[in-house]
Amino acid sequence: MLKIFVLIKQVPSLHNLQIDKRTGTLIREGVENIINPDDLYGLELGLSLKEQYEGEITAITMGPPQAEFALRECLAMGVDKSLLITDEQFAYSDTLQTTLVLKETFDKIKDYDIIITGSQTSDSSTGQIPFQLSEALDIPLITDIFTMEIENNLFKCHRNFGHESQNISVDLPILIRVRRHFNEPRHISLSGIKKAFEKEIEFNDFNTFNCPEYLDGCNKSPTNVVRTEKIVLKRKNEIIEGNINEKVQKLLEIMQEHGIEKIWTGESF
Amino acid sequence: MSNTNDYRDVWVFTEIKDHVEVHECALQILGKAREIADKLGQKLISVVLALDAEQYLPVIEEHGVDKIIYLSHQDLKHYHERIFTDLVYDLIEKYKPSIFLFPSTEAGNALAARLAYRCRTGLVSDVLDLELSDEFGNNLLIGDKPAYLGNIVAQIICPNTRPQMCTVTLGTFQKTKMRKENVEIIKVDYKFDKSKIKIKILEAPTRKDKPSSTLSDAKFVIGGGHGLVSKENFDKLFDLAKLTNGQVGGTRRPILNGWMPEHLQIGISGESIFSDLYLAFGISGAIQHLVGITASKTIIAINKDPNAGIFKVADYCVIGDANEILLGLLNYFRV
Repeated sequence: MLKIFVLIKQVPSLHNLQIDKRTGTLIREGVENIINPDDLYGLELGLSLKEQYEGEITAITMGPPQAEFALRECLAMGVDKSLLITDEQFAYSDTLQTTLVLKETFDKIKDYDIIITGSQTSDSSTGQIPFQLSEALDIPLITDIFTMEIENNLFKCHRNFGHESQNISVDLPILIRVRRHFNEPRHISLSGIKKAFEKEIEFNDFNTFNCPEYLDGCNKSPTNVVRTEKIVLKRKNEIIEGNINEKVQKLLEIMQEHGIEKIWTGESF
Repeated sequence: MSNTNDYRDVWVFTEIKDHVEVHECALQILGKAREIADKLGQKLISVVLALDAEQYLPVIEEHGVDKIIYLSHQDLKHYHERIFTDLVYDLIEKYKPSIFLFPSTEAGNALAARLAYRCRTGLVSDVLDLELSDEFGNNLLIGDKPAYLGNIVAQIICPNTRPQMCTVTLGTFQKTKMRKENVEIIKVDYKFDKSKIKIKILEAPTRKDKPSSTLSDAKFVIGGGHGLVSKENFDKLFDLAKLTNGQVGGTRRPILNGWMPEHLQIGISGESIFSDLYLAFGISGAIQHLVGITASKTIIAINKDPNAGIFKVADYCVIGDANEILLGLLNYFRV
């Protein structure tokens, strides 16, 4: 039976973003928390692999206690099990720290065949986790897949890699990073929602991991945010006045200054 | 934890693009890295892994490096996650750089993330600026990273681990042509145990679907939004692009309206642009779009609404009907 794990993150929704006019920062109050949009493609891939090959699918997230809601959503989509890694000690973890905690998690799970991630999160957008987890677990990361099949312990797929369209085969376990729009994430059904509340969510905290040295004590993330500043965009904001012809003329001058010239296409429009 | 004082010099992963030329972004990073190395009184070192790597060295020598460390082998023709990670990690172990900068490309991002894990150090991705400061420790590198959709800059340090690593996107820094005397060149022998490679490649034809020019490479981008009102009007952007060698992009709305395909979206969940000139027609300027255009050198915005958000980030503001202006420009270029 295929053991599938999908990594997800709860993020603030990017729809209807409001900026505080006074401070210039994002207004966080009243902003809905959602499953990171890229992760939905990973969930869909995991669910369809489970259906095709018989398996068990677990959603894992690391975040504050309220991330439980995102896991309920995964359960409602059809995920079998879920795991929330939450502890104040893990707050403000950077990607290295997150990778180390995930490594501990999978070392404890031991029995995994496929771990799936999205491309990046919409809030921090580093995109580093898939690569770092591949290093940490010493399993190959397969990106940009378009067709795949699994035979016994062998994973075969077509993927784009750099300038090549490759046909590859690799032994499980592997990590898969799913690209955006790879599939059509399923909707949640009413019966799915009902089932979601009958399933249990497992919780892991700092003490679950036998306190390995590098996670010991307070947060050991190598990077620290020392300051945040509002971006001040220095732009001229010069208003171009005049009638329509004058405006067009001025624009043509600016375009010419930027090296944009008429090119002959041999076509008429 | 190893002593940070054991680490010195500024390294730049000097990526070779399509085994044809030195990546422009790597040359730009060398420009900034030269400044940093001078302030530290340390060396600027370029790291090159390529097939026939010698052919790229003269160009790199023109960009201010003190030293080049390179490996040249058939297996290094294209980025390979296992080979590149292992070989560059060995170099880090041996030479102990204090700072290591990478172009923010498919290969650069992947390699930097893997190496940061191996070194158990921090990686700041897509920095907007870099400076050295004594504020939080002796000559620490501070990387400015856009956060919360580019509205806020987070200043990030990596105080206790080395190297201090960052990725940098195209167009962030300017390359400077200068030649140091007696550039030292070190060739490292290629040695790699291929049994470590777990992925078996059965066949690998060259991709034909890769676009020859993309939004992020374009020098001149013409953007359109909902304000263009109809598909017929929006199509005129493509006419203008054809006549001026420009590239069309747009906001989310034209995609929803069926005026343009999804891959032309600029902003969050789309592409970022790094053009010399961006011409925005009928774009109101939602933050989701603005974060993708801020790296453009000059921005011209055309919109009916004088209060449109896009004017705040524009160098030139034309208050008026975007369709009329578009037609006026087309009339000039068509003749």
